[in-house]
Amino acid sequence: MNTDRIEREVVIDAPIARVWSALTEPKSVSAWFSNGADVSIDLRVGGVMSFDQGDHGAFQTVIVSVTPPHVFSFRWASAYPGVLATEENSTLVEFSLKETPRGTVLRVVESGFDALEIPADRVQHAGFENHSKGWNSVVAAIDAYVMANLETSIIDSP
Amino acid sequence: MSNVTEVLVALADPTRRDLLERLSLRGEATATALAGDLPISRQAVVQHLTVLDKVGLVRGRRHGREHRFIVRTEPLGETVKWMESLSQQWDRRLRLIQQIAEASTGREDNPKQVLSQKAESNE
Repeated sequence: MNTDRIEREVVIDAPIARVWSALTEPKSVSAWFSNGADVSIDLRVGGVMSFDQGDHGAFQTVIVSVTPPHVFSFRWASAYPGVLATEENSTLVEFSLKETPRGTVLRVVESGFDALEIPADRVQHAGFENHSKGWNSVVAAIDAYVMANLETSIIDSP
Repeated sequence: MSNVTEVLVALADPTRRDLLERLSLRGEATATALAGDLPISRQAVVQHLTVLDKVGLVRGRRHGREHRFIVRTEPLGETVKWMESLSQQWDRRLRLIQQIAEASTGREDNPKQVLSQKAESNE
């Protein structure tokens, strides 16, 4: 089990251009990503995609690649509201789109959990839910233990 | 803090993760034995074990004069479930994108509006 990334995909019964629009247009992003909060997108490499989720904080993701209609990726510092995403504080979210006979396959990979460190004071400051992503560095480690070690080596105490 | 939060905070330290891993490999060990496995003092091991014990990731018990520790997996179960919930969040987002794309085929709709209607009927 790879603990550094989450991968998911869906097959969409729409042309790839439609999927691209649904993925990248501010109104749509607001619907699928920011729980309705307004989103501003500077859709270019290095551009900022930002949205304010009120109590959950304002997020400033940084766009890493834009290749319409095939690739859209950005760095998301989900544990650091108000801070611009960098390589140190964020995970990489990569969408890829592919036309197939079944429809447009939209795939998402969120990676970089293993390298992500969330200081304990941040953890304590924040609510659990809006920081959930950032804690994957730790979760990844836990997963690794659970899958690789603990199940076979734990000793039940009497 | 919730139990999951405490567990995560306890595991945020790489040394404690190493410690847990060593302990899980040994099955059962004293702080002295663990200090032999790791580049830290016995006293530091004891401090880390205390943190891990508080959140239920290890448990100590007496064996004659020795105080031995074992790994406990119960707190991790909750956390692993939570990892799964992150994947589910992505599933949900992909579903929303799907709904927007499929609903907007052939016309320009307000995605939010389409979405709220769809979401209601699905959930």
